[in-house]
Order: sequence, then C-alpha cells, then structure tokens
Amino acid sequence: MILPRGDEYRIEAEATTSSSEVKVELRQTSVTAADLPESVFRYALRTKECVLIHDASGQSSFSADEYVREHHARSVLCLPLLKQTRLLGVLYLENNLTPHVFIPARIAVLKLLASQAAISLENARFYRDAQQMEAYLKAAQTLSHTGSFGWRPATGEIVWSEETYQITGYDRGTKPTLELVFQRIHPEDTVFVQEALDRGTLNGTDLDFEHRLLLPDGSVKCVHIVAHAVRDESFLELTHEDYRASNWEFSTELLEGKRKQFQIEKQYWRKDGSSIWVSNNVSLVPGTKSMPRFIMALSEDITERKRAQDALHHAQMELAHATRIATIGQLSASIAHELNQPLTGIITNCSTCLRMLTGDPPNLDGARETVRRTMRDANRASEVITRLRALFSKREATAESVDLNESTREVIALSLGELQKGQVIVRTEFADDLPLVTGDRVQLQQVVLNLLLNALDAMNNVNDRPRELVIRTERWKGECVCVSVRDSGVGFEPHAVDKLFEAFYTTKHDGMGMGLSVSRSIIESHHGRLWATPNDGPGATLSFSIPCRTDTKV
Amino acid sequence: MKSCQERSAVERSLVAVVDDDESVRESLPALLRVFGFAAHAFSSAEEFLASDRLGETRCLILDIAMPGMTGLDLQRQLRIHGHTIPIIFITAQRDEAVRARAFEQGAAGFLLKPFSDTALLAALNTALGVR
Repeated sequence: MILPRGDEYRIEAEATTSSSEVKVELRQTSVTAADLPESVFRYALRTKECVLIHDASGQSSFSADEYVREHHARSVLCLPLLKQTRLLGVLYLENNLTPHVFIPARIAVLKLLASQAAISLENARFYRDAQQMEAYLKAAQTLSHTGSFGWRPATGEIVWSEETYQITGYDRGTKPTLELVFQRIHPEDTVFVQEALDRGTLNGTDLDFEHRLLLPDGSVKCVHIVAHAVRDESFLELTHEDYRASNWEFSTELLEGKRKQFQIEKQYWRKDGSSIWVSNNVSLVPGTKSMPRFIMALSEDITERKRAQDALHHAQMELAHATRIATIGQLSASIAHELNQPLTGIITNCSTCLRMLTGDPPNLDGARETVRRTMRDANRASEVITRLRALFSKREATAESVDLNESTREVIALSLGELQKGQVIVRTEFADDLPLVTGDRVQLQQVVLNLLLNALDAMNNVNDRPRELVIRTERWKGECVCVSVRDSGVGFEPHAVDKLFEAFYTTKHDGMGMGLSVSRSIIESHHGRLWATPNDGPGATLSFSIPCRTDTKV
Repeated sequence: MKSCQERSAVERSLVAVVDDDESVRESLPALLRVFGFAAHAFSSAEEFLASDRLGETRCLILDIAMPGMTGLDLQRQLRIHGHTIPIIFITAQRDEAVRARAFEQGAAGFLLKPFSDTALLAALNTALGVR
C-alpha cells in the first residue's frame, strides 16, 4: 500500500503471504526500485490506470524493468486508488509463483476494495487533520487565555472550549448551561449581562462587552465577551424559490432512508442579492456512538459552467436560425413559383373583370366569377407567406404536438418549385395511423426540408435514370415515428457516412455545409436519431426517428 | 391595339392553354374569351398531345416548368411532327438561357408571370400575324 507523503510516495504497509500465514508490516519507507518495478508504478501514477501483467517473466512493455528481471515476479497488478479523478494512493500486488492469478473476477473484487480503501483513507486523513486542528486551536487558546463558546438561544444549547472551562472553573465533564454561566457572573453584573444578551438575541446583533466573574474561591476575573451572531438560516432560505420544493423532497427522502444520496443543480441567493449556480452532492452520513448522523453536502460553484451552457444554447439557436434562413434562400425558385401562380391568376382575373364591366352590356355574372377566383388566389398566396413566416422567425424551441404527415406535406408544398425545376418525381408513402410527436414543428420541418433539398442536389446531375424522390412516414414499435427521404441520386460510400454529418462538409460550391449537422442536433434534441443508408439501387435514404411519448420534454 | 370587334377574322379561333397550375387554367381562358377567342385549358403537355383539339388550335399559350414533359419539350415535339402552331410561353422563371432556347426553337412570344392583359394581347396579335 503506497500513499503520498508530501512530495514523495511511501510504502505505508506491506503484506506478505506464505503457505501458513499472512504477515503485515508497517513499513513507512520511501518507494525504491528494490521494492517494486518502478516503471510499472510510474506508469500507474501517470495514467491513473490499472496495470496488469499476466506473466512478467514473458514479454511485456515492462520486461526491461530491473525489478522484473531480478525478482522473477510472475503476476503483477498495480491498482491506483482514485477518488473521482484524484489519486489517493496505489496498491501494488505481486505473485512470484504463479502467472495469470489476477483473473477478471479477482480484479473486480480488488477494484471494489480499492475504492472502499480510498474512501476510508480520505476519511482517516480528514479525521486526523481535524484532530490536529483541534489540538492547535486548544494550544492557541491556552496561550492567549481565550476561551470560546457557542450558544444556541432557541434551545439553550451551549458548547465550551477547553479554556472556557478553565476560566469559569467548572470541571471538564460538566455540561454547560445558561444557569451555570450566571452562577459565575458577579452579582453586580448579572442584570447588565442579561440585558446585553437579550439585546443581542432579539436583534440578532453581535455581542461585545466586559463583565466580572466571581469564582467560588472568592476571586474575581474580568472578562471581555465578543460574540458574532449567526442567523440560523435554513439552506432552503438560501435556495432559489424554483428549486426549494424538489430540494426539500430529496432531503426528506434522504432522511427517511428512501435515498442514499442525491445530486441537485440549483441557484443560491447571495447576501448581496446576486445568485450563483451550484451542483450539490448530498448524502446522509450514518451516526456513530460518539456522533449523531448528519447530512453532508458537497457544493460546487458551477456558475461559470452554466453561463457557458447558456451561451452555447443561445449560439445553437442562432445557428439553427441562420441555417433556416440560408435554406430559405435555396428555396427562391419555390417561393417565386408559389407566389407567382396565384398572382398571375389575380392579375388575369382582374383584367378580365374590368373588361367585362366595361363591356356593352356589362357582364356582371362573369365579373362576379372573376372576383371569386381572385379571392381564392389571394388566399393561396397568403398561405404561402404564413408558412414562410414561421420558418423565418427566430424563436426558442417550443414543445407542441406535431403531426409529421401534415408538416411534411407543407414542406413538400413549399418545395414544389424546386422539385419541378429539378424534374423530380415525388412519391409519398404516409402511414395512416401515424401518432403525434412532441416537439418543435418548425425545427422538424427544417429537418425535412433539408433532407429534401439534399436529395434534390444528389440527383442534380443524374440523366440516365428517372429522378425519383420517395418520402415515407412510418410508425415503429417501441413507440416512435420514422420519416425517410429516398433519392435516386449519386449516393455515398458506406465508409464515408460520418463525413456527411460533419459541420462544414459540403459538395456544393455555394453550400454552407451545415444542413445535416444542424438537422442531426435538432433530431437529437428531440431524443431521436438521424442516419443515412445507401440504397440497394442508386442513391441514398436519409431517415430520422423520434419517440412519440407525450411526456418527452424538448 | 386591336379590340375584339376589329379582329373578326381571327374571332373564335381556338387558343389552347397548357399549364399545370389551377389558377392559370381557370383565369386565362376567361380573359381569352373576353378578347374574343375560343379557349380550352389542359393540365399537361401530354394531355394536350392526346386531345383531339391539336388540329384546330390556332395558338398555344404554354407554361415551361411542368412535371413530366416540359413546355420546351412540347415545343420540340410539335416541330418534329411538323406542327406550326405559334407558341407564346408563360413562365415565372427569369432564366435567360431558357428564354434564348425558346426563341431558338421558334417561339412567337415569351411572357414573364405575372403579365398584364395588354402584354398578352400584344403577344397574341404578334403570334397570329395581325398587326
């Protein structure tokens, strides 16, 4: 067992087994090359990884080590003792009779023991440090004739340090009470002291006054009382309102034994009114004979991390927005097409209307018909604008019920111009019983649009076969919905599939290369998957699946 | 600009409209009838070719971007089969290459959507050789 001592490592204890007994020796000497293979030890220290040599007499990365050569070690195991990522010590095991003794099952047991040992070592160190602190404090108080006390007015509990017993002349074993305190106060000062204490407890203010003590042997001591008032804050009062309920629930469960420990991320209010983010690891430490059980909370200030996370989230929203805008730019042919048709209809119908009204005689019935057609065309144009506006808006992701069949139809409608221009035959295979998913409709439409436009690009230069696009929606068991876009384009190499989803990867000269990468993030934020498969024939199929549980949160 | 009355020679000539868009198919024939033409609309080039109105069509108003056979394809097809129907193209696409090709292949007119009724009438007059 090797532990750090200051700058170096020391072998604290060594256990040796022979046929009849196990001998444990407290060594407490520095680690040398004569004790163990230093290369193995250094390696374990550096990498914090377990080093296992099945047979040191054979070839291994450590065969050149002096110790290995001279001591004929067979099985070697060097196990770092880690508390989270901190190295607390190293356990070195060696068997120089048999190789391969450290089988996985034994290593598993050793690792478990090692982690327990690490915790115990830490606790022992804390305890020893605490004892040392106490000893120093006691010595300091004795030297300066200062005694300290703690007093909880609400319950009357009082705690005295060693020196305070000394000053008040009570036996070390006596339990301090307010009554005992007043027994020592000089009769002429009792009223004054009582008033001072009352003032302090009422206002929660510090104490700072002098009074006299009258001891049983008649001697008088003059003492100066300085005390700091501590407002008994419940941790809940410090906690941000939003987290109090869950925090309380977890704490209660901890005390009732329903939980061993919990972790919570929450905000604390600071005295100056600002707030910080913390990550708390809270556990219940069982009581011992000398100490009642208590709750221990390890609190880590994660304000910076939270800030970075928020900044990242914001950047992601901006990126999603930017790619949406860029995608809409690619839709220019579609937009022009979608709007031009109804506009042409409107202008033609109105021209017809005017001519009909100025005819001799005026053709009122005909004119009425033209007006009706104009109305209908105007509404068509308005619908296109509405669909586009949703895509243009910069917005936070929302969680709503989305019908992927409907949403996909809308996207196809928006892209009709592109599809026609690209001479593409579109086929849809929508499942009838497609369940709703919970998510952000606009973001999901952005993904479908991206897949569609990518498919279009893939078929851009295809002239020897029909350009076919098949869009399919299906319900999968395991409660999820799958949408796939299949093209008959250039396809991709199976081994290059990961590259497709890389940010900034594009084969288009004016492409941003963000489409598939952003689409994947969007799908993943919906707890789904996006993947690509080459077809049996030409082209590729891009698919995504999203769970349709209604309790999914985006 | 000739009005309906002055154009008695070409009155009731059949103008065919081929466009996959419903708005155009419903609005354009009405305007053509006000101009004094007979009009019939088709939703695709294939439908027009398969119809029995091909022979009597005096002028063709043709959309370019259509699924299946495009307007330019139809123009080529008609030439190959010796039809000399004047064609006025209507399209939303502002593509110079497409426009050039249309005229190379003998188009009588090329209008960008949305077009005014006067522009259409002028194109019709040019196509039908009426000055």
